[in-house]
Amino acid sequence: MGIIRCTLVLALISVLGLAGCATAPPRSDYSAFRTENPRSILVVPPINKSVDVNAPDYFLATIATPLAERGYYVFPVNMVRSVLADDGLSDANLVHSGDPRRLGELFNADAVLYISIERWDAKYVVLSTTVTVELNYSLKSAHTGRELWKDHRLLVYSPQNSNSGNPLADLIAAAVAAAVTKAAPNYMPLARQANSQAVSLKGTGLPAGPYDSLYLKDTGDF
Amino acid sequence: MNRSSRGALVVALALMLCACVTRPAAKYDWGTYDPSLYTYYKDPAKASELMAALQSIINGANTGRGAVPPGVYAEYGYLQLQQGKAQEAVASFQAEEQRWPESKAFMDRMIKVASTQPQPAQTKEP
Repeated sequence: MGIIRCTLVLALISVLGLAGCATAPPRSDYSAFRTENPRSILVVPPINKSVDVNAPDYFLATIATPLAERGYYVFPVNMVRSVLADDGLSDANLVHSGDPRRLGELFNADAVLYISIERWDAKYVVLSTTVTVELNYSLKSAHTGRELWKDHRLLVYSPQNSNSGNPLADLIAAAVAAAVTKAAPNYMPLARQANSQAVSLKGTGLPAGPYDSLYLKDTGDF
Repeated sequence: MNRSSRGALVVALALMLCACVTRPAAKYDWGTYDPSLYTYYKDPAKASELMAALQSIINGANTGRGAVPPGVYAEYGYLQLQQGKAQEAVASFQAEEQRWPESKAFMDRMIKVASTQPQPAQTKEP
């Protein structure tokens, strides 16, 4: 009886799991991407639409790893940021409104990744804190200027509603969680997770780059 | 439900979570690159800590711990250049372009910049 019940539960979970994958957003259009198959990505400093002035720099610290692990050559993000600033391009809005082909010439990159930080904030509601990170990604060809890939990520974190059945203990736990996030809301895990999803999810992520064994072999997924 | 079937459930759940996201093993040894860059942006006076982090990635790879990620030699070289160590910077930029041909044009330009810098350009703060 126990085994039968367990099998049933397993079967149900498998079905739910399949449904979870099936209801994933529809496959992105990779026709433009596949005609160019870029090898290198230049990440320019993000545009900031949030109220946190530090968001672009902090975000920049999280983006090179997932792109490189996906198999691309990623230009040194901090060095690029400084070189652009030295050339009078410290204003991200100016860089984003410029021609990607011009940037491509400067760095000899195949593609330029433009990121817009839509939200990067923490909301304090009585005892609980909600941290939100919302990002738009757009990869443009440095050869033709056209968009090769885009994605949008919205991640919200709120401390788990741990209901222990003891109202006083719950209140204290919630107060502690709020204090911790209020003192220094930590956006980095959310940003990392957003990048990881944006880059790796099958059907919507970036196809494998030249330093990945699946380079040009993953057309079934992307 | 007994313990082993509960274990099977956990494994099934874990497999399902993995199935939706492709997460292969890391290609590179990142060391503390990400948190060190974050700390540096928080407090630019901590450039030496970022340098130490990059150097340990480079050294670690040399002793076979893992491959040096793209950009790390270049980032290291740029910090060297900012400290007036032009010759060392050139060597780092050369290492980047040897390992990553995609960086050649950019690195050649930076090598030119570093080579034309007046050699004893160390203006140390008091």
